Amino acid sequence: MSIRSAVFALLTWWPALMQAANPQFGRDILPILSEHCFSCHGPDEAHRKGRLRLDTREGALAQRKATAAVVPAQPDHSEMIRRIESNDPEELMPPPKSGRPLSPAQITTLREWIHEGASWGRHWAFEPPRRPVIPSPIDTSPRWDSGNPIDRFIRAGLAVERLQPAPPASKATRLRRASFDLTGLPPAPGTLEAFERDMRPEAWSVVVDRLLASPHFGERMAMWWLDAARYADTDGYQADDTRTNWPWRDWVVAAFNDNLPFDQFTLEQFAGDLLPGATLLQRLATTFHRNHMTNGEGGRDPEESRVDYVIDRVNTMGTVWLGLTLNCAQCHSHKYDPISHAEYYQLTAFFNSIDEDGKAGRGAKPYLSYQSPQAVRAVNEAQNWLDHLQPIEAQARRDAEIPFQAWLRTQFDQVRKGYQTWTPLVPADLTAAEGTQLRSDSEGMIQATGPNPLQDDYRVYGAPRHSKVTGLRLNVLPHPDHTGGAYSRGESGEFILTDIKIQLRRRGRNQVRDIGIASAVADYSAEQKGDRSYGDIKGVLDDDPRNGWTTKGSPSNGVHTAVFALTEPLVLSSQDELIVELRQRSTLGDANIGRFRLSCSDQPGAAVRSMNPSPLDQLKSAGNISISELEPALRGMLFEQFLMEHPPYQRAHSAVQRASAHLEETRKAAGKLDIMVLAERTNSRPTHVLVRGVWDKPAEVVQRGVPTALSPIHSDLPRTREGLARWIVARDNPLTARVIVNHLWQLCFGAGLVRTPEDFGLQGERPTHPDLLDWLAVEFMESDWDIKKLLRLMVTCDTYQQSSSTTAELQQRDPSNRWLARGSRFRLPSWMLRDAALQTAGLLNPALGGPPVKPYQPEGLWEENFMGRFKYDSSPGAAQYRRSLYAFWRRTIAPSFLFDSAQRRVCEVRTPRTNTPLQALALLNDENFLEAARALALQTHQLPGDTKTRLHWLARRILSRTPTDSEAAILYREWDQAMKHYSTNPTEAETFLARGQISLPVDPSQYSECAAWTLTASLILNLDEAMTHE
Amino acid sequence: MSEPLDRTRRYFLGHCTGISLGAMALSRLLHQSNASPNTPASLSLKSGGVGVRATAHRARARRVIFLTQSGGPSQLELFDEKPGLSTWAGKELPESVRRGQRLTTMTANQKQLVMPSRTQFLTHGQCGARVGEWLPHIGAISDHVCFVKSIHTDQINHAPAMTQFLTGHQIPGRPSMGAWVSYGLGSENQNLPEYLVLISKMQRPSDQPLYDHYWGSGFLPSQYQGVKLRNARDPVLYLRDPEGLPTQLRRGMLNGLSELNSMRLTETGDPEIATRIRQYEMAFRMQTSIPDLIDLSDEPSEIFELYGPDSRRPGSYAANCILARRLAERGVRFIQLFHPDWDHHSRLSSWCTARCRDTDRPSAALIIDLQRRGLLEDTLVIWGGEFGRGVAGQGDWTSPDAGRDHHPRSFTVWLAGGGIKPGFTHGTTDDFSYNVAENPVHVRDLHATVLHQLGIDHEQLTYRFQGLDFRLTGVEPSQIVQSILA
Repeated sequence: MSIRSAVFALLTWWPALMQAANPQFGRDILPILSEHCFSCHGPDEAHRKGRLRLDTREGALAQRKATAAVVPAQPDHSEMIRRIESNDPEELMPPPKSGRPLSPAQITTLREWIHEGASWGRHWAFEPPRRPVIPSPIDTSPRWDSGNPIDRFIRAGLAVERLQPAPPASKATRLRRASFDLTGLPPAPGTLEAFERDMRPEAWSVVVDRLLASPHFGERMAMWWLDAARYADTDGYQADDTRTNWPWRDWVVAAFNDNLPFDQFTLEQFAGDLLPGATLLQRLATTFHRNHMTNGEGGRDPEESRVDYVIDRVNTMGTVWLGLTLNCAQCHSHKYDPISHAEYYQLTAFFNSIDEDGKAGRGAKPYLSYQSPQAVRAVNEAQNWLDHLQPIEAQARRDAEIPFQAWLRTQFDQVRKGYQTWTPLVPADLTAAEGTQLRSDSEGMIQATGPNPLQDDYRVYGAPRHSKVTGLRLNVLPHPDHTGGAYSRGESGEFILTDIKIQLRRRGRNQVRDIGIASAVADYSAEQKGDRSYGDIKGVLDDDPRNGWTTKGSPSNGVHTAVFALTEPLVLSSQDELIVELRQRSTLGDANIGRFRLSCSDQPGAAVRSMNPSPLDQLKSAGNISISELEPALRGMLFEQFLMEHPPYQRAHSAVQRASAHLEETRKAAGKLDIMVLAERTNSRPTHVLVRGVWDKPAEVVQRGVPTALSPIHSDLPRTREGLARWIVARDNPLTARVIVNHLWQLCFGAGLVRTPEDFGLQGERPTHPDLLDWLAVEFMESDWDIKKLLRLMVTCDTYQQSSSTTAELQQRDPSNRWLARGSRFRLPSWMLRDAALQTAGLLNPALGGPPVKPYQPEGLWEENFMGRFKYDSSPGAAQYRRSLYAFWRRTIAPSFLFDSAQRRVCEVRTPRTNTPLQALALLNDENFLEAARALALQTHQLPGDTKTRLHWLARRILSRTPTDSEAAILYREWDQAMKHYSTNPTEAETFLARGQISLPVDPSQYSECAAWTLTASLILNLDEAMTHE
Repeated sequence: MSEPLDRTRRYFLGHCTGISLGAMALSRLLHQSNASPNTPASLSLKSGGVGVRATAHRARARRVIFLTQSGGPSQLELFDEKPGLSTWAGKELPESVRRGQRLTTMTANQKQLVMPSRTQFLTHGQCGARVGEWLPHIGAISDHVCFVKSIHTDQINHAPAMTQFLTGHQIPGRPSMGAWVSYGLGSENQNLPEYLVLISKMQRPSDQPLYDHYWGSGFLPSQYQGVKLRNARDPVLYLRDPEGLPTQLRRGMLNGLSELNSMRLTETGDPEIATRIRQYEMAFRMQTSIPDLIDLSDEPSEIFELYGPDSRRPGSYAANCILARRLAERGVRFIQLFHPDWDHHSRLSSWCTARCRDTDRPSAALIIDLQRRGLLEDTLVIWGGEFGRGVAGQGDWTSPDAGRDHHPRSFTVWLAGGGIKPGFTHGTTDDFSYNVAENPVHVRDLHATVLHQLGIDHEQLTYRFQGLDFRLTGVEPSQIVQSILA
């Protein structure tokens, strides 16, 4: 395609370019003025050029010298026209450097408008909606007239565009569509068949009612609301501490399920605490306005943070309820919309007297003490899981007795042959970064000579004698050549070791591998003052030169010893050698070790974690005894050591440990929690306009109030958050109902009637169907803000039920489906994809509410972002399969399986939908999806019938439809290839299956087939159709 | 497959215009019509005020390597020599210098007593640059480097300052510089993402976490966000196929997937499916291209010797510098390294030296390596952090325990390559390295200059969001620092 044809494609649908025959101010003129003129001639007084304002009629018509910018009916006498048509770059408006030139068509439109009298009006969204007349049907055939008012409006638009509505989608597609839109889940198994069998005319209506009544409805709606509410389970910013506001999330779910009218829903979240006789739940509702991030960064002024939070609340209110970019008025008057700088701060005044002080973490008052009834179920679930695992662990322990006997005999042999727990690491090479000369003898003793720099890093290279290493020992020895015969050649004779690092290098390779150290103990550590000074041996593990190990002050002047346990036992090949680096970088320096020796051990557990003799050493000390004469205590120690390296027991044991930790955490969540809520101070704070929005640059004091250009706040309303909320949902507020109706439309149709749901202001897009939007808004308000009723209206109209297939011609004419001549087709949000996979696989745990859970996430994600400060352990047992709504949301690192979701940092009402290779990788390889594929495979495999029958079942289970013959042939081909491969490589099949929590089939001969089905299930889960709102 | 792809492109234009038609779209079009990315393109088409903006002048750099030093390295010890401070040692900083500068609450109630530099400065190269002794290798490449000693920012706390340094605004939510560049210029490599991020593997919990919004795409589509190359078994999240799934089976499965998706495309006519087919293919290619990229076994020993011993340790800053060069060779547009832990409130002389040791030799080696391969010419390297440090000692200034607090009013960033004047110093500060004395450079000006070198006019690279045309440099005036351009 050439650039020219791309441009052509662009021009054909760009509405602003379409020349209007009879220009209407709101539709045709205001958008041009806003885009091209208001930046300098708009509401923002401070940035206004030439004292000309074009956003009011008075301003545009005002006499300026001999003329006026706009002279009604006389375009040739209007200065505006002269300037926009000028050939002189000095005179031309907009100025060429603004990069916003007018098109000839726009100039004609402006001319035409002035010629016709320059009638003025208001921006459409600032006029309260009135219920428009429902258009008469163009054609009374059922194809064109369903009787649903939505269809009348949409089809009137289609008639103008000379487009035809699409036929209805198949029953399966419609059910799938509505199930996702209303519950966020695909049809539950069985429901599709029932619906397909139901031939009654009211079948669709019955299904819709059932979906609206499902408890999953509230969860689906809550996901929308949580994105808008920037809800997360942590503070964000530096500390990113965990908060426990999740009971609010459950309040939201319940509110939607109970169909709480939206005006009441609004009121309770703004001012639940201020309502007469406020209930606990009404106070809980106010958490909405505490869901912003909180910053506890050291050195930050809490007042600066507090001001940020107040501003965040106003901006969030602006986006979610009013569809206005109020935030633009934070630094100066809005450049496009009629909101002044002072009015912005009048709005902040409503939120400026919360009893908060800008602190984060556990200091983010005001709190509500609350105990969630939802947590009891979670505790029971966690307890049951632990009860299930404990006998398995006990059995594994008993089973280990038999291999232990054999192991014990080899240990006795070892000890008799003179086994040594520690063998010296004899250096093959020694280096020092700053010039110390290191010499070693054949027993691995190393002595420093030569120059004595202030700081130095010693590196010891050597191959351990054991083929396995579990720990390292460092001896530091006194020597007569050292200062005072002590440990160092430095002034004091004492040494300071700041860090130790162990690396593994294979001969001939350029790269090395870091070996983790789990613990460090020493025979003596000097007393340490504070975290950042020298003494404790643990200081050598953190890569921080401001702490480290010294034995200064020890009563002993003999050998000092430190023992380090490796994180995991290291198995070495003959090509491997260790590099041990001793860093001596203390602040004052001059404390490098003079004489030392390194040794390695292959014993797990106590041997490398304590200074006590290892169990084998104790066995050695016990002398020449037989196994039967072994002391029970020592036998016990040896058994524990054996278990540490006995994988069957370790698997069962770590499962129990995870389950206990999970139970413990869940129990904590079941107690009284501090929940961040709103509460008013006794003395309210004065509110100032902030110069350029800077927190510590207060200007004049302002009182609580609302922007005058919208709708007045009724005089009988209190000037409190309650009054503000009642103003937002007042019948004459021009924005709220339109904005919320537009959100709901977006949930069902993938895009709003206003495609900029966050901006209904002058710079936002105009509605594709203004009358429909207004009709729905009025309908919403007049039906007492009934969300379920409105959604029901939307999903029962024919427009919603159309097929989404498109033709090249229609694609060309309406690529983004503004006119709705077809159903909306778009990728489902990532959270729905995970939930759908769980439901399809029969794994979904349908429980409602309760403390957050942790779905699978690749290892180390939190650790690497926080350098180890937070660790993510995925939830065990049934808690793993909860809906994504309940996934723990760490603000600085969102759940990794949710690609292109809202960020939950600031309010978002339009989440992006992208299509990237990273998403492909996630859907192919994320454990959440692989486990679902495995679970599906196990079920498919157990079905009766031939492969083809089972293939059909699997495809239908995921896609809600039976595959065509040609589709089935491709699926069969891939299944068959996988089957052939795994039959000849059964161990690979086992590896592919043996992950996650699902038990493998008892009979290993079935592994190959299960693996083939797993891959087939994964293929189907990755089909475009599987992830799409068809 | 040409037919569905063509449809995709048309569709892409159609969709994007709903928000804004990206320069990237144009860049892609130019690429696909075989125009060189270096060709000055003056094409600018308008539609309802939303413009497609292409490069207006010749690009001097094709890619950026941003060596981000997080925490605020001390310019007083490293780059900005103030020998006169010894006479002020221990005296209170005059109010005529401080002029109401805000302090963090850590030192706000402490007397501001001057602490002279803890280092000696050494003269280097033909240009005679003076660099602190803790950075001998960077000093040694001074003739390739342009030191800008007059950078200033508006923020005094880490997260807001870093957010401003990287996204142009202190509140999270804007696209990062790398995202803007990848949006504006697209990729030269179809097998790798346009914007890659590498974070040093540290063993110490850092006080300043690195938030993913530092390389986020803000309101730009998420395809422009930086992709973090992790030092883990999966260098990119979910890159590795599960164990027990051999490549030939994966390939077969993807063939089946692609066939079935193509059938669906025919049936529904939705061009988004064609895009998805391509993305799955790109994902498969990344499964090979990324392991190849991070496997340093084909690097000779001399390279590891050049970058220093730490370069043998995967995940280290030094190893990441080698990776940065490999990414540059492969045409990745924006490469960003992060090295944390420069926040030296105490024990400057043991703590700051530790970070210098991590970064000095590898940073210098990267410049030398790029230069030897002829890549420095069109690779713009930036070294710097979110702010500098103040002249007053934090804690007892006489004690070795003393450090320095944050300082936003002046600090040093250095640049190399990519059409920047080598062996040059721009801007000066007062006798206390406290206020800029000559040629101030706001972080915005730095942003404008970086874009300029890439051939992008910072006022023209815009994205419409919430009814406004946003740009990296924001609404305040900013200027290209002409005098540092070669």
